[in-house]
Amino acid sequence: MIVSLDWLGDYVDLPPVDELTERLLLAGLNHEATEAVGADTAVDLEVTSNRPDCLGHIGVAREIAVLYSRPLRIPAAELPEAAAKAAVAVEIEAGDICPYYSARVIRGVTIGPSPDWLVRRLATVGIASVNNVVDITNYVMFECGQPLHAFDLARLAGRRIVVRRARSGEPFVAINHKQYELTDEMCVIADGSRPVALAGVMGGADTEITPATTDVLLESAQFAPLPVRTAARRLVLGSPSSYRFERGPDPAAVDWASRRATALILELAGGQLDGPVVETGRLACRPATIRLRPARVAEVLGVAVPSERQREILQPLGFVEQHAGDEATDWLAPTWRRDCWREIDLVEEIARVEGYDRVPEDVAIAARPVQRSARERLARMVGEVCVAAGFCEAMTRSVVAEPLEAWGSPWGRTAALVCRPPLVRGADRLRRTLLPSLAEARAGSLAAGAAHGDLFEIARAYLQRPEASGAADSPVAEPLLLAAVTGGDFFKAKGLAAAVLRRLGLPESAAAALGDGLGQSAAAAVGYRPLGSDLFAAGRAAEIVLCRPELPERRIGVVGELAENLCEASGLTAPVAAIELRLDGLEFLADAEPERLPLSGLPAIDRDINLVVAESVPWAAVVAAIESVGCRELESIGLGDIWRDAERLGPDKKSLVVSLRLRSHEATLSADQANSLVADMVTACTRATGGVLRR
Amino acid sequence: MSHVSLEAFVAELDELRTEAERNLADATDAAALETARVSLLGAKSGRLKLAQRGLGQLAKADKPAGGKHFNAVKQAVDELFSAAQARITAAAAGPIAAAIDVTLPGEPIRLGRVHPLSQTIRRVAAIMGHLGFEVVDGPEVEDQWHNFEALAIPAEHPARDPLDNFYLSVASHAEPLLLRSQTSTVQIRVMERRSPPLRIVSLGRVYRPDTADATHYPMFHQVEGLLVEPGITMAHLKSVLRSFASSFLGGDVHVRFRPSFFPFTEPSVEVDMEWNGRWIEMGGAGMVDPAVLEAVGYDPDAVSGFAFGLGVERIAARRFGVADIRDFYRNDVRFLEQFSDRGQA
Repeated sequence: MIVSLDWLGDYVDLPPVDELTERLLLAGLNHEATEAVGADTAVDLEVTSNRPDCLGHIGVAREIAVLYSRPLRIPAAELPEAAAKAAVAVEIEAGDICPYYSARVIRGVTIGPSPDWLVRRLATVGIASVNNVVDITNYVMFECGQPLHAFDLARLAGRRIVVRRARSGEPFVAINHKQYELTDEMCVIADGSRPVALAGVMGGADTEITPATTDVLLESAQFAPLPVRTAARRLVLGSPSSYRFERGPDPAAVDWASRRATALILELAGGQLDGPVVETGRLACRPATIRLRPARVAEVLGVAVPSERQREILQPLGFVEQHAGDEATDWLAPTWRRDCWREIDLVEEIARVEGYDRVPEDVAIAARPVQRSARERLARMVGEVCVAAGFCEAMTRSVVAEPLEAWGSPWGRTAALVCRPPLVRGADRLRRTLLPSLAEARAGSLAAGAAHGDLFEIARAYLQRPEASGAADSPVAEPLLLAAVTGGDFFKAKGLAAAVLRRLGLPESAAAALGDGLGQSAAAAVGYRPLGSDLFAAGRAAEIVLCRPELPERRIGVVGELAENLCEASGLTAPVAAIELRLDGLEFLADAEPERLPLSGLPAIDRDINLVVAESVPWAAVVAAIESVGCRELESIGLGDIWRDAERLGPDKKSLVVSLRLRSHEATLSADQANSLVADMVTACTRATGGVLRR
Repeated sequence: MSHVSLEAFVAELDELRTEAERNLADATDAAALETARVSLLGAKSGRLKLAQRGLGQLAKADKPAGGKHFNAVKQAVDELFSAAQARITAAAAGPIAAAIDVTLPGEPIRLGRVHPLSQTIRRVAAIMGHLGFEVVDGPEVEDQWHNFEALAIPAEHPARDPLDNFYLSVASHAEPLLLRSQTSTVQIRVMERRSPPLRIVSLGRVYRPDTADATHYPMFHQVEGLLVEPGITMAHLKSVLRSFASSFLGGDVHVRFRPSFFPFTEPSVEVDMEWNGRWIEMGGAGMVDPAVLEAVGYDPDAVSGFAFGLGVERIAARRFGVADIRDFYRNDVRFLEQFSDRGQA
């Protein structure tokens, strides 16, 4: 709301402008700018949506009058008596949209330029002068906040006004001379044959005031906010009028504005008032009676305001004391303050006028112990590993374009949710995996010339629950995911996955990989199993399966080399490996106490064995076979090398160098003991995998 | 003939030993070593020779102790010289190529980084944690009750306009869901589940259809705090925000309230904090509206509370001097690598 200081001074004596804007800022009218316009000063004030009363100069002047305890001067708006009834008919068909409509008719006006003072004041608030009658309707709107519209009566077919819903597809030419197609969500003012105004938004070109106009019908009405807003937004036709109707002008100003504008027309454009007001419908106006306990003010603000001071604030704001009791006073709210209907609203009025600077800023609150949630700690733990591994944290959009969604998700088959409007152009799918977004981010970073594009992100995916799932409180699951992308092959990504899982206390288990549950171990562990997925290159990906005692196994991650066509679509030229882990359901790991194992101070014995197995035997099968011996002295199993030579090993064979570390907690192992233990392991391998020692 | 005191004699010898240690240890070539040798051990006017003369000037009774000390120092200096000589001879004998170019780069260890928005969120959460606020979490896909109705935003409210929200159609759900437009939804969910006293911070992504520009992005992060306990007033709100601002900016920071309007708080205020002599906008706050307390089944006469919200992007942009918040979402590693967490959270 831009106010003219020259104009504002009509209603209240003003303090210096800088002092004034600072005071208003601290009372609820945020100061945006002060600008000289000719000899006048325009002050731009931000008016919150609950304060339509401040969308007119009088409302702002009332605030100033209250803040500075100065008298407020409101013009009288008196009209001459007019006995005969005007020959116009007003009818409301859409009472839900327009509860009240009034018309005054002024005949014999002379349309011409407005006087300088009027042109200047409108110019200050940013409105161009049109002619005296149109300018007066604008002037009164900016004075009291009630929009008005003036029709050329001679052009109203049948001298009739009908307020009705628009018909779907009905055409309308507005005063901007553009044609619009209306819908039945909108409300129009029609004459005997066609729409002549889009209710509350804009008048029509056919009936606008022109230099030829002699008879004027002045509309002042109430319109419901929603249809006005709908029309203004759908047709991109917002106006100072629609802005005010969307927020609800003062009901008592409907008639005042009509009288005030009529009086000004008679004064500035001549003519004669034709009959009293023609009105129909009932003005919606139900000011609230509010019970205020004066003691409540201190209970909310933390600082007392004496009840006499409370009265000094409320009365000039327009609240009328109805009944004062010992502990509470009833106040009738002014018609222009429909935002005030409860005790707390009065408390806020008292607070903002009294000033929040009176609220103390050094009141202690009791200390309270706080713990980080398991989920928060889990996210920290996994993020830490990625940062330590040299990855930068990315933040990508939750909503992606359809092509990026086409690769599916490791987390479910239900379709992606679609949002309207799209988050950004073309991006309307809520993502079900972070991988394509990260691939795209990696491509962007590399294309920009970054030294690397190793990125990770911790964010949610959005998965529709299958319809049958029933009991869940939301139809959408939002698992928290960790995803990372890096250049290189499967094993680079698996190394990161393994590090993250180790940090969480989840070791890799050969038994879990082979689908044998946990094997010898009683602790939770993960296994890697081959995965077929459109996200990854064929044969170059694994799912990570979590096995826990007594619980069904569950996929918690995927790792692999991204599919070539996905890389291409993301703009990546070199191979990319990626991981994605589901953190939801892993909270138990954030709460697990680390298990402390006793360390043996005795020397270890390292033995390498060369085991020749069929190409189809996975490493996990070898590990599982060795572990199946249950040797307490076996400390670790490592892979030394893989070697293939069809001539020396035979076709479809590979030689694995298995590094075994043996150590006892009781006594130093002898070479013979070690040899005997290793021999048992080799036997187990031969039995389970057909592998033999290479000579 | 006057005598030299034993103390002065010992002090001079000790000083000589210190100097010898420094000069001989620092010698890196034969020339420097020779200079040091002449100065210390020279047969005619070496420091040690001169000191030996002082021995003769000691009182007779002091001579045994002085002599003993002299011998100890002489031996130490001789050893230092031999060690330095051995070191330099060995270096000279080896091939020159064995000396490394210490200006060559070390083996690189790449440092990852936490995203600047994450750093900001962590820091805010850490400060609020010290004030007893616990971080809570809730869904981003919300229903209309939690995003609007329970927050006193009725059906006809402009904030619910389809053009101002990201609505979703979900096959199995009659009522349209939407991407939450504020994290206050989480506060409702927590209040529905738990009873006061309550101190929580909800933080995360929120969504509003703004056109992306330097200060807007249709997806951004909010931090919202909520405290509900008996007897809570705006003075508590102001004090907590002042503590927060002081901790965040450092020093004793003042805050001020400007009246504002939010559907779910009453009174509502904008909060400014004083920074470098200027008031800068911090966020919105207010006392939890009684209608919100009632909506979750609390008695507004028995408990009261306050809520406040901060825009993470805005705080981070100011803290890190980022002029365009879209940079936070470009994920250019060159950008991300500039933000080293300074251990504040």
